[in-house]
Amino acid sequence: MEFKDYYQTLGVARDATVQDIKKAFRKLARKYHPDVSKEPDAQARMQELNEAYAVLSDTEKRAAYDQLGRGHRPGEEFRPPPDWDAGYEFSGRGFSPSEEAAYSDFFSELFGHTGGARGRYHTGGAEFRARGEDHHAKVLLELEDAFEGATRQISLRVPRLDPQGHVVVDTRTLNVRIPTGVHEGQIIRLAGQGSPGIGGGPTGDLLLEVHFRPHPRFRPDGRDLHLTLPVTPWEAALGTVIPVVLPSGSVKVRIPENAQSGRQLRVRGKGIPGSPAGDLLLEIQVVLPSADDPKARKLYEQMAREIPFDPRRNERA
Amino acid sequence: MRDDDILTGSLLDESWLTLEQIASACTVEPQWLARHIDEGLFPHTECVAGTWRITALHLRRARRMREIERVFDAEPELAALFADLLEEMDDLHARLRRAGLE
Repeated sequence: MEFKDYYQTLGVARDATVQDIKKAFRKLARKYHPDVSKEPDAQARMQELNEAYAVLSDTEKRAAYDQLGRGHRPGEEFRPPPDWDAGYEFSGRGFSPSEEAAYSDFFSELFGHTGGARGRYHTGGAEFRARGEDHHAKVLLELEDAFEGATRQISLRVPRLDPQGHVVVDTRTLNVRIPTGVHEGQIIRLAGQGSPGIGGGPTGDLLLEVHFRPHPRFRPDGRDLHLTLPVTPWEAALGTVIPVVLPSGSVKVRIPENAQSGRQLRVRGKGIPGSPAGDLLLEIQVVLPSADDPKARKLYEQMAREIPFDPRRNERA
Repeated sequence: MRDDDILTGSLLDESWLTLEQIASACTVEPQWLARHIDEGLFPHTECVAGTWRITALHLRRARRMREIERVFDAEPELAALFADLLEEMDDLHARLRRAGLE
């Protein structure tokens, strides 16, 4: 296990005041906030900051850490001596197994079982009863799965506390039926598949957040599907009926006369199925044939001569 | 794979849950959630006879607000304003993706 220098993580001196530590943490939290940060490792850095702040903002944990870490360098191999925490009373907030799982082994080894997780989650009182924790995971699906449903095998890394109160991570594999009609960002709730309850409390749930792999043609938006539809100039000008292949089946779409590039056509109920089903939104994109071909060039020249058309008329007015 | 090996879930935005279940799903304390709902900081929550219906957006909103309150000791209203702005940003990103620009 590597020693972690929490002072270095927050960029403060070892004798920094509580106010200095809070100020430094907030400054860095703003920089690495995963919702706004452009840094590629923002999520990981934010976790490091949270971990460092959880220790240095707590008087008792900080005192124990200072005593333990004296003379150690960051990254150096480290093993705490037995009963290193004797004489310290950790009365601060405990950490749930999922919070702890996000923190480093260093943190879990030192504080995972001290007045925190074990105190909170393994309270031996007869009346203590709590619902088990919910687990959250992302599931990556193909867009086609939303049309036809699917059964996906999902592997989850599940943190749990061992009898000594340390966090260990198990791998759990589940076969999950994906219902027809799911859409991006939706949550599939598997009741009773989270952590076991405590003292006879109910088991938590497993919450799977649905995400689609990028599709080469369709862009989903809720249950609506967006598609760019290339058409020829004569199809756009004269109108036509075009077959459009969908993730499940196909549909014939009437392109009205004089359709312009960028115009959007809505085909109701042909998006992702559901109640109500989403719509298919087609964005017309007029594609010109190349004028390299002599015959095409001749036709363009004929149009230039015979069709009085100026798309920049309004700009000159 | 046998049929009884396969788990079938329900969609969160089609399920009615207790406040405790919702708080657990949002990884916040039930009292925190109840207080914020009472103060109108979670728009579009539906409650019928003590059970609630929420969406994935509420989950993300709760986590964001809780984090901002914790890190910056922010007032709940300020955290809600921050969440509003992030949701606006999410919406703009979604529009860019729909337009094939992101």
